[in-house]
Amino acid sequence: MGAQDVASGECDGSGTAVQDVLAEVLSVEPLPLPYYALHLKVPAAFGVSAPGQFVMAMASPSELRLKPFLRRAFSVFDQEPLEGATNGERHIQLFGKIIGPGTSSLAECRPGDEVAVLGPLGVGFTLPSRGRAALVAGGVGSAALLLLQRALSERSVEHDFLYGGRSTVDLAASVTFAELARRSGGRYLPSTEDGSTGHHGLITEVLAEGLAESRYQHVFTCGPEGLMRAVARLAAAHDCPGQAALETAMGCGYGACLGCAVQMVNGEIQLCCKHGPVFDLAEVSW
Amino acid sequence: MSPNTQPGSTGGEVSSATDGRGALDLSVRLGDLELQNPILTASGTFGYGLEFAPLTTLEQFGGLVTKGLSLAPRPGNPPPRICETRGGMLNSIGLQNIGIHAFLDDVLPGLADYPSQVIVNLFGTAQADYVALAELVDAQAGIAAVELNVSCPNVKKGGIEFGHDPKMLSGLVSAVRSATSKPVIVKLSPNVTSPAELAKSARDAGADMISAINTIIGMSIDTWSRRPRLHTVRGGLSGPAIKPIALRIVYDVVNAVDCPVIAIGGVEDVDDVLEFLIAGASAVQVGTALFRDPQRGPSLVDELESRLAEQGYSSVSDIIGSIVLPTPRDEEHP
Repeated sequence: MGAQDVASGECDGSGTAVQDVLAEVLSVEPLPLPYYALHLKVPAAFGVSAPGQFVMAMASPSELRLKPFLRRAFSVFDQEPLEGATNGERHIQLFGKIIGPGTSSLAECRPGDEVAVLGPLGVGFTLPSRGRAALVAGGVGSAALLLLQRALSERSVEHDFLYGGRSTVDLAASVTFAELARRSGGRYLPSTEDGSTGHHGLITEVLAEGLAESRYQHVFTCGPEGLMRAVARLAAAHDCPGQAALETAMGCGYGACLGCAVQMVNGEIQLCCKHGPVFDLAEVSW
Repeated sequence: MSPNTQPGSTGGEVSSATDGRGALDLSVRLGDLELQNPILTASGTFGYGLEFAPLTTLEQFGGLVTKGLSLAPRPGNPPPRICETRGGMLNSIGLQNIGIHAFLDDVLPGLADYPSQVIVNLFGTAQADYVALAELVDAQAGIAAVELNVSCPNVKKGGIEFGHDPKMLSGLVSAVRSATSKPVIVKLSPNVTSPAELAKSARDAGADMISAINTIIGMSIDTWSRRPRLHTVRGGLSGPAIKPIALRIVYDVVNAVDCPVIAIGGVEDVDDVLEFLIAGASAVQVGTALFRDPQRGPSLVDELESRLAEQGYSSVSDIIGSIVLPTPRDEEHP
């Protein structure tokens, strides 16, 4: 029965049980292409996500598609009580980038459409209570970091938000990140490879500067694998602890298919969906 | 319940059919293996069952087939291990599993709370491994049957050799047959010229049942990086893309052996289940569909029940093997 207790907390970083629900599309907010924000109404039973947790989503779940065939993993970008909700429904936001059939099928949703949402899944970030943090986001990887920013703000942990992309368009959610970082006492530090916004170059160059000044006691990152690998090397070189939210292709998201293997430094293989998606930077074999 | 019992005498194991004519008998008997309904999980798609209790209604499955278990735990293959394809997916997990001992000690006791039959899928790299595994599970009351994985395409050594060579398969099955009194199911590979021939070898050597098919070997390449999308290059294709192939092989196997056959391969909806049953399978395993929809098993049971009721059946066993073949007259007018 769906009402049974969650088994040994394996899919769970926040104490709430995993639910497979039908969410209603409130809107698809067009951001500069290829980015979008999917606003969903989820029933009250759907758990509150911890920072770094994710969901597996699928458009038009009643119809079998050949492509996308599987659900897609999305970080829970934001969540809040739904205004005017009669039964405790809540509003969750998924931040997407159209890169293939899965992400585009969700971008094509219309208000009122149903989206199947399984979650919250995985183990999220371990939160520090003191020190200054660097949050290093690469493009759509920033989706994993907003709830973290909110949680750090609640704990009065100062943080800089380092947002890297190829061009300005890749810094699609910059306003919110910038505001929260500044409110915490930290800085908003963008970079673009084409120089259209902020530092002209790679975001890891910005991070390297901060680490060299011993500005950070924690590093959190999410983005392309190359970025996270570089962040892991920098953090290790400066003896700074850090965590990364990995983006591995997933078949199911709940530990059944064993597809999302992550190679660890100690030789073990762990599952991104179950043991992660957040891992200690030093423990992943990059 | 035996399919030979009177319709309506299933003692409340199944809920009432919607047409008000009393309980529709969903139970099936496969030799000594009785299932409350013909829907099982497919090995490798639902872990060891218990960990997914919050996501589905475990008690509604006819049976739970475990992830392939070996004597010692196996770490599996390096990533990437899966990729999506049109209408399915490729996997190359490499039989990652916790090992038989951890399963028997930590998982099996918890599964006793469910009416679904537990079938353990066993994997080894040598005949002695299979025999040792079968001996270990023989005394376990909570295990209803063993399924021998002789067809995994994703490991370098063992398993598949048995599934491709009738002589080796025959030797393996007789050895396992002597090692356990549990019903022995042999899971066949589709990656051979004649699965039906291998089914015969397995049956002649003492297999109680045949299950088919395992995944079909496939491949996919990322056209931007020009890299294979799986670390092992080749992997096993599953999902609705393979169902017509699975149906053909199941039908051939049904016609080749005199024992129950369990169908596996691309089941998504109730029509897929019915096709396999009509072709002669006594039960059906659902696998990859669970990745998209963890509740697919129980919903298939419900849909099967209402569909059979709608078509006027009182028992699921009445539709098994009921295929209507073309008559000679039909053939005159192609």
